[in-house]
Amino acid sequence: MSGTKPDILWAPHQVDRFVVCDSELSLYHVESTVNSELKAGSLRLSEDSAATLLSINSDTPYMKCVAWYLNYDPECLLAVGQANGRVVLTSLGQDHNSKFKDLIGKEFVPKHARQCNTLAWNPLDSNWLAAGLDKHRADFSVLIWDICSKYTPDIVPMEKVRLSAGETETTLLVTKPLYELGQNDACLSLCWLPRDQKLLLAGMHRNLAIFDLRNTSQKMFVNTKAVQGVTVDPYFHDRVASFYEGQVAIWDLRKFEKPVLTLTEQPKPLTKVAWCPTRTGLLATLTRDSNIIRLYDMQHTPTPIGDETEPTIIERSVQPCDNYIASFAWHPTSQNRMIVVTPNRTMSDFTVFERISLAWSPITSLMWACGRHLYECAEEENDNSLEKDIATKMRLRALSRYGLDTEQVWRNHILAGNDDPQLKSLWYTLHYILCIQYTEDMDQKSPGNKGSLVYAGIKSIVKSSLGMVESSRHNWSGLDKQTDIQNLNEERILALQLCGWIKKGTDIDVGPFLNSLVQEGEWERAAAVALFNLDIRRAIQILNEGASSEKGDLNLNVVAMALSGYTDEKNSLWREMCSTLRLQLNNPYLCVMFAFLTSETGSYDGVLYENKVAVRDRVAFACKFLSDTQLNRYIEKLTNEMKEAGNLEGILLTGLTKDGVDLMESYVDRTGDVQTASYCMLQGSPLDVLKDERVQYWIENYRNLLDAWRFWHKRAEFDIHRSKLDPSSKPLAQVFVSCNFCGKSISYSCSAVPHQGRGFSQYGVSGSPTKSKVTSCPGCRKPLPRCALCLINMGTPVSSCPGGSKSDEKVDLSKDKKLAQFNNWFTWCHNCRHGGHAGHMLSWFRDHAECPVSACTCKCMQLDTTGNLVPAETVQP
Amino acid sequence: MELHILEHRVRVLSLARPGLWLYTHPLIKLLFLPHRSRCKFFSLTETPEDYTLMVDEEGFKELPPSEFLQVAEATWLVLNVSSHSGAAVQAAGVTKIARSVIAPLAEHHVSVLMLSTYQTDFILVREQDLSVVIHTLAQEFDIYREVGGEPVPVARDDSSNGFPRAQHGSSPTVHPIQSPQNRFCVLTLDPETLPAIATTLIDVLFYSHRRRKSITGGAWLGLRSVTTCLPRFPSDLLLTSSSGELWRMVRIGGQPLGFDECGIVAQIAGPLAAADISAYYISTFNFDHALVPEDGIGSVIEVLQQRQEGLDS
Repeated sequence: MSGTKPDILWAPHQVDRFVVCDSELSLYHVESTVNSELKAGSLRLSEDSAATLLSINSDTPYMKCVAWYLNYDPECLLAVGQANGRVVLTSLGQDHNSKFKDLIGKEFVPKHARQCNTLAWNPLDSNWLAAGLDKHRADFSVLIWDICSKYTPDIVPMEKVRLSAGETETTLLVTKPLYELGQNDACLSLCWLPRDQKLLLAGMHRNLAIFDLRNTSQKMFVNTKAVQGVTVDPYFHDRVASFYEGQVAIWDLRKFEKPVLTLTEQPKPLTKVAWCPTRTGLLATLTRDSNIIRLYDMQHTPTPIGDETEPTIIERSVQPCDNYIASFAWHPTSQNRMIVVTPNRTMSDFTVFERISLAWSPITSLMWACGRHLYECAEEENDNSLEKDIATKMRLRALSRYGLDTEQVWRNHILAGNDDPQLKSLWYTLHYILCIQYTEDMDQKSPGNKGSLVYAGIKSIVKSSLGMVESSRHNWSGLDKQTDIQNLNEERILALQLCGWIKKGTDIDVGPFLNSLVQEGEWERAAAVALFNLDIRRAIQILNEGASSEKGDLNLNVVAMALSGYTDEKNSLWREMCSTLRLQLNNPYLCVMFAFLTSETGSYDGVLYENKVAVRDRVAFACKFLSDTQLNRYIEKLTNEMKEAGNLEGILLTGLTKDGVDLMESYVDRTGDVQTASYCMLQGSPLDVLKDERVQYWIENYRNLLDAWRFWHKRAEFDIHRSKLDPSSKPLAQVFVSCNFCGKSISYSCSAVPHQGRGFSQYGVSGSPTKSKVTSCPGCRKPLPRCALCLINMGTPVSSCPGGSKSDEKVDLSKDKKLAQFNNWFTWCHNCRHGGHAGHMLSWFRDHAECPVSACTCKCMQLDTTGNLVPAETVQP
Repeated sequence: MELHILEHRVRVLSLARPGLWLYTHPLIKLLFLPHRSRCKFFSLTETPEDYTLMVDEEGFKELPPSEFLQVAEATWLVLNVSSHSGAAVQAAGVTKIARSVIAPLAEHHVSVLMLSTYQTDFILVREQDLSVVIHTLAQEFDIYREVGGEPVPVARDDSSNGFPRAQHGSSPTVHPIQSPQNRFCVLTLDPETLPAIATTLIDVLFYSHRRRKSITGGAWLGLRSVTTCLPRFPSDLLLTSSSGELWRMVRIGGQPLGFDECGIVAQIAGPLAAADISAYYISTFNFDHALVPEDGIGSVIEVLQQRQEGLDS
């Protein structure tokens, strides 16, 4: 405040006012400028606030420190400490209450003049003012004045104000302080301890001292250099900060011997340290010649601060302006708001933003907390505009039991939502693979390694048939045209079967396939398949059918007409127009039909490389029309393309082999869909594929994902599904119930199926009623322990639960039946060892926190953090 | 009570009046621009005979040697007493520490120099006497030695390595006293306002031939106090006690006292303390000076005369 360096103070109660003090005191009023223009003469503080100068007080020269009266009334009373040690009361308001008018101008004079370093109003007795002075060889440095002593002369006669006589301003001079402390010492900073009205913490010359005014001869002190700017944490009254040069020390008054921690030293000396009054554990510090304010967040410090536990401190800094900051002040009530003043008296009002902590739940809901606000990010419901995230998709698919249909495997793509052609292709491929596999197993007709070939995909099948096929010319039905068609050997038939064009067996008629396509309304595709089977009449007929159906396109008739005009003549107009106009057709199947018709014999690139046509159709086409070498080259090329792109249609080619895993890997890389990957790889693929660590990784991740979504039942279903398809994944029993007497496992001798245990163990009560009557150890025939609730020996099926849960049972009887097996399970607390029937325990802990065994105070259910979680499936629709 | 052994290693010098011109620059630098030099302890006292300087070694380096500069051989350490007991001791300054520090040191033949300021009193002892000092005072004081600004407690065992001091005559010489009529005023000053009165101070120090004035700088606290006889200063800037008391001086010694003799301070401070008279005490190169309250000068003279007579008889 010494002329060059202004200080700034918020009014403690009128929270829209503040004072800037350097050589004079200037009172400002803060206004919001959100909805109005900046008024003339106002100073802009921030984007939405401005300050207006209300009054200036220059009555008190040589100001050293200022403290604002803490009481509501009078509002604008300030104590000013001067360079000569005098403390003057002055006012800035117009609200001169007559009762307090006498206070204004009152001076408190120390015996020996020297600089007044600090002032502090007592927060509990508002009339007490402590002043900290420089050293004098014989005088005291901490003086406590009672500003109203004159008005209450009857407190203690001794402490009455002694007025020095003979001067004109006699009534305004007070020379006798209430208390004098710290002889022959200097006081650099002061603060009252909120614990008691009579406790004062002072930063003296070489130590921090706590003066107890009830016994002034006693003081508690600790030698330290960090004696500047002592300040008490408003939220934790035993925590105090002080500083020395660049270092801040944090003290715990209950353990005053040494600082509980010191903050990182700053290269420049500190000038101010202040706790945030609106937020716990936030300390702001300012160094000389700096334009940043450093913030130390001790929010997560465990209180009380332990000796061992090093508190976590998060250091941040804010830069409210470009200039150096002379001083700052926290707003007394607005959260994290602060005003700073620069040496040239520009001011800036700003709010320190809280660190934002973000939480992303496994079900894609996003929340973040900032200060005292909690924000939730809700997904908008217009799902159609954006494709859903794969996690959302997987979750919905898990709910619809995607992947679990083992009877009609192709149906899984419908469970997946029936909107992804790749998934559709994948599940159809798997369906065909399994169908063929099944019939082969049934028939046992075809010896050899066909079975594994089926899994190996068309690529391997085609390879195995190399050099065994001759082409022959086939007649077009209804046309006098011949086209070279490969003779279909077993492998090619198998391939076509995998493509779905023909049914299993040796029947090579595509009729049923065409019918199913027509039924599904895929006329173009059906027509194309018919055409590729050299049945142009059927193709035209299908197109007509399509045009006449409700959903069909009328243009199909036109296409049919164009098709019927087919001529074999090489240079005809038809051919010319078709080959150019076909490119303008939108439907790829229509397009390839004309490409096929106009192509030269043996070169079908227009068909084979039309990417919009399903892979399975192209492959089937290739099987029909390409020679072995061509076919091999084509399949090889296509496989690589598919692997590169991670296109699931390629599984048709690769099968569930290493190649297939490679392909799936790039699919997972692209989409993150571990769900499809897990289910696909589980679906009856040979074991060496399942052993691939990538596959195991997908499976484990999918299981974790289900756990994270709290889909525990789904996870269990998946595990069951998995253990059916991959018996090696079945975990061994991890928990056994052993008899108290003989120590043998009782479940073992009951030959119950071991299951994956999680602290529960199953006892063989699930089967026949006879088994469930076993109430004694099968080994030693001693009785099993009793259920803590029904007091019946374990092993008896659970009866209707004791104590009030009958209504529950009636309500969800069906559910109880389903869970009946579980209700009979043994369960016990790992801490107190008490337990009983799982059903009884569940109903007990629905209403109780403590163990049901009397005199046991174990809070069993709360020990298990997952105990209160509910599976998400039951909550979610 | 705590006794702090400060970090400063002080040299005591005498500057003859005719040589002042040679030292004006370093003196002004040390006085008014303390942040420009690394000197942390500086005291300048003007007497009719000479200027006495007490500076730490950093400051000593700034003063070029010349025929006008007389340097005392020893290096001195600065002691400072601080009381942490809340017990009120009314008598100020030397009086307070007379019994506890000065007298025991005199008994153990430790020569001391005194330097009283507005804020506190400094006792200077020779570095070689430190072990004796610690041994002597360890009974009554918690002794701290400042290292890098941090007080470090001094263990008592340190002091048990014998008494290397040469013994002097047991009864000290009684030195004559004289008391001029000047009245003195003890003032202090906010270091930030120093520039405002610098010219006045320069005028007073170097261009007047008044009797005696002293300026002490103690930068370890950022404080500075001035003891001068001149009421010429703007009253707002210099601070003194609210009662505005004035002081009279007592000069000790008829001829230069030297640095080896012990018990000089004790023989003045002891009787004053016994009579509960507060005093400032300033040692210079040649003589010692005590400032006593104006209204008590009569009794002081009386007390000190008695001392002389008491010894004479």
